[in-house]
Amino acid sequence: MKRRRDEIPAWDAKAAAHLLSRAGFGGTPEEVGELAALSLDEAVDRLLDESAKAPAPAQPDWVKDPWVNTERRFADTPREVAAEAHRTTRRRYGAELNELRSWWLGYMITTSHPLREVLTLFWHGHFATATSKVNISQAIYQQNATLRRNALGNFRTLLRDVAVDPAMMMYLDLEGSDKAKANENFARELYELFTLGIGHYTENDIKATARALTGWTLDAPRGMAKTRSSAPDTPRDFARDGLVPTFIPERHDAEVKTIFGETGRFELDDVVAIVSRQPATARFLVGKLIDFFGTVDPQGELRERMALTFQATRGEIREVLRVLFTAPEFYSDASRGSQIKSPIRLLVGACRQLKLDVRATPSLAQLTASMGQDLFNPPNVKGWPGGKTWIGAGTLAVRYHLADALLEGKEPTGLEPLGSNRFLAFPRDATQGSAMVARIESSRAERRAERQKEGLKCRFKVDALYPQGAPADPAALVDDLLRRLVVTTVRPSARETLITACVDTTPADRPALVARLILTSPEYQLA
Amino acid sequence: MLIQIDRRQFLRRAAGLTALTATVPSFLDKTASAFTHKVKPIPGLNDDRVLVVVQLAGGNDGLNTLVPHGDDAYYKARPKLAINAKKVLKIDEYLGFHPELVELKALLDDGSLALVQNVGYPNPDRSHFRSSEIWETATSSDKTETSGWVGRYFDSECSAVRSSVLGLQLGERPAQTFASAQPRSVTLANPAILDWPTDGVAGSGLEGINRVEPTGIEALDFIQRSANETLALAKRLKEVTRNAKAPVAYAPFEFSQSLKLVAEMIVAEFPTRVYYVSLTGFDTHAAQVNRHAALLQELSQGLAAFHRDLKLRGHLDRTLVMTFSEFGRRVSENKSAGTDHGTANVMFLTGGGIIPGLHGERPDLKSTDESGDLVFKTDFRSVYSAILGGWFGANADNVLAGHFAPAPVLRTPKPTA
Repeated sequence: MKRRRDEIPAWDAKAAAHLLSRAGFGGTPEEVGELAALSLDEAVDRLLDESAKAPAPAQPDWVKDPWVNTERRFADTPREVAAEAHRTTRRRYGAELNELRSWWLGYMITTSHPLREVLTLFWHGHFATATSKVNISQAIYQQNATLRRNALGNFRTLLRDVAVDPAMMMYLDLEGSDKAKANENFARELYELFTLGIGHYTENDIKATARALTGWTLDAPRGMAKTRSSAPDTPRDFARDGLVPTFIPERHDAEVKTIFGETGRFELDDVVAIVSRQPATARFLVGKLIDFFGTVDPQGELRERMALTFQATRGEIREVLRVLFTAPEFYSDASRGSQIKSPIRLLVGACRQLKLDVRATPSLAQLTASMGQDLFNPPNVKGWPGGKTWIGAGTLAVRYHLADALLEGKEPTGLEPLGSNRFLAFPRDATQGSAMVARIESSRAERRAERQKEGLKCRFKVDALYPQGAPADPAALVDDLLRRLVVTTVRPSARETLITACVDTTPADRPALVARLILTSPEYQLA
Repeated sequence: MLIQIDRRQFLRRAAGLTALTATVPSFLDKTASAFTHKVKPIPGLNDDRVLVVVQLAGGNDGLNTLVPHGDDAYYKARPKLAINAKKVLKIDEYLGFHPELVELKALLDDGSLALVQNVGYPNPDRSHFRSSEIWETATSSDKTETSGWVGRYFDSECSAVRSSVLGLQLGERPAQTFASAQPRSVTLANPAILDWPTDGVAGSGLEGINRVEPTGIEALDFIQRSANETLALAKRLKEVTRNAKAPVAYAPFEFSQSLKLVAEMIVAEFPTRVYYVSLTGFDTHAAQVNRHAALLQELSQGLAAFHRDLKLRGHLDRTLVMTFSEFGRRVSENKSAGTDHGTANVMFLTGGGIIPGLHGERPDLKSTDESGDLVFKTDFRSVYSAILGGWFGANADNVLAGHFAPAPVLRTPKPTA
């Protein structure tokens, strides 16, 4: 099941740097050195085993067990009370989601197990849910924890956990899908995007699967006293008593179904088992992993080997990755230094490789959002398409400002919209307009201040990067920083530009200037 | 005449830049061929046409926008929210505008506004997310598609057009309307993001390190080209904002300011075919009277200022504006003095080539669907079809993956294939 022994990749510092740039957020020279001192197999074992065993990060303090719906409405809740509860709850969710974004970014920057975070991010894009539809902060946190817990585990377990994960249940409408009217949304995406890929299932498979998945809802933990009843037609957001996936047999369609030619009184676990054993699932998933890790697999042989491992191990993600990270294809010239970094990779990598002094704040998360990767809010069910779609004038512009933002803690201008909203209709009498404009502008300024109150807390410190002092010679300094930061081929003109800039600058300012320019270079956009 | 001179000046300016720089920023390389189709030019069609898509996000209450003041059913369904017939800006004995749509009413009276009533699609979805997706990808409600209708138009019809800003959106989240296999659209919350030091060691360093030097590494060369385009776009936008001289006043709000910037870009002949701006906040579930009035006022004043601006500067003929919203709202008001998610809605069109006045069959408030929602009469894709075929001369059936008879909203005859 392993790689072909006749083609063992050459293992050296460059190969180690390549592995860390894909299986992590980019390594420091020390990390690269440590890994290069091992054999390839030892290095990969270490990355995989340590990431699989790493303890979970401490959860944000606003996460509650059990979760309480603070905008719950009952038949007798007065309208004003309901409206006020809705307002304050949503405001709190918004603030907590901002915190959650910076919490995860901060963890990615500091963790000693970056591979697990890279994979959690992969699964986040794969099993996409978005705060544009699901904005209950705790549901989003729980999903993040679910993905991390299973990131290098077994795919079947992961799929089972995700299917009844609150955020997913809300996002694809499995919550409340019952036998009277089975919602097909989740069943469709399950096959199209999560497991088989287009062309490997029929509409009848989807219909039967949707029926098999009926009966699930989100409720208070078992044994908790039921709260009072809601008015009929109360939207789910105001009627939910908890976030615990709960199976209600009376709402489940217990009739016989046929899925992929198998017939039975199928339920959730059967669906997960059936779809996990389809060969198309193995091929689809390993194909996504190969793409995500930027590997060129011209003959499709790597995909074949990984798919076989997936099937032989019944979906052990760690074993599939072991094949990938020790494959000659992964270390081929075509695979190296040729992948466009996602905004998260770019930002987290810069923080780690430049050993920046960082405290992750909502403003930091805002930067990745402005570059096109808003954590917990991918554009649609397909997640982030990645690759060239990361690069456009709007997003490249933010990438250029990233250097100043990270090295000097300077917030770029232009992340804000062009103006505020018109909250009230103006009197058609022109004389009263300006006072209203002033009021609206000042409330806009207040909101901006609230959002940015912490600002960007990051700084470049030469001593952190060069405790013994930076190289004095411009060319030596440039080459050292390029070696630290860039994994692709450096164009001669880029190196010359850096050296020229260095010569024109006082020695004390050189390391920051060169680092800054490298961050804006085409080379640095590649992993 | 004036415009002709402006355009020649622009071309000279672009040509000058071309001569000075080593690599031609491709989007500035606006030669006569820049906007031609890969197949053949379509007789009688200008090739510098622009579409401005205006998204009314959240689901605009169409019945309080284009008010059926002659229908008792409307007043019965909305005891609190119905617009008093005396205040309605009447179009005829049955329909009229919301009282804040003063400027749009004037445009209509002037023969400069088209309204398409009761636009929707079969088996309507009432989720914002899903219904927006349906409108932006122009697919039926039982299919999922990720590419946008304008994105597909760019992919299939504009491959020969040398522009990296074929689509330009002012907003924060890239609109799915532009999503395509070959992304050639830019989303900017604010052009100020394209402002960075261009002088000093930082400025020359940024330029220097992004000077194109082909490497044969595909991704690296792609980024170099994109960087080049971005730096050129930044310069061009700076020029546009510096030379901005709108002859009309725009309100200081996001929507109006976005339109103001779009007008400047149109006047500067940006190589952009489709602009996209949003007015957000239409999800009026509760206490909607004041909120909706404010939004409609912004819509009305913004569109009217834009119209007048382009007309005064001679670019109205080549500009078409289309509004859309993911759905209208339920016929009956809810218990919170608001309205819930509904279905069919009204679209506005203004600019070059429109057939002014009311289009489509008016909604029947008495025969609603099982949820109490309007039953649409005009499929939104027939409006897209009219724009794709009639305005851009594109193969609408191809882009929309199906035939939708073009809604008769544009003067331009459908070009023969």
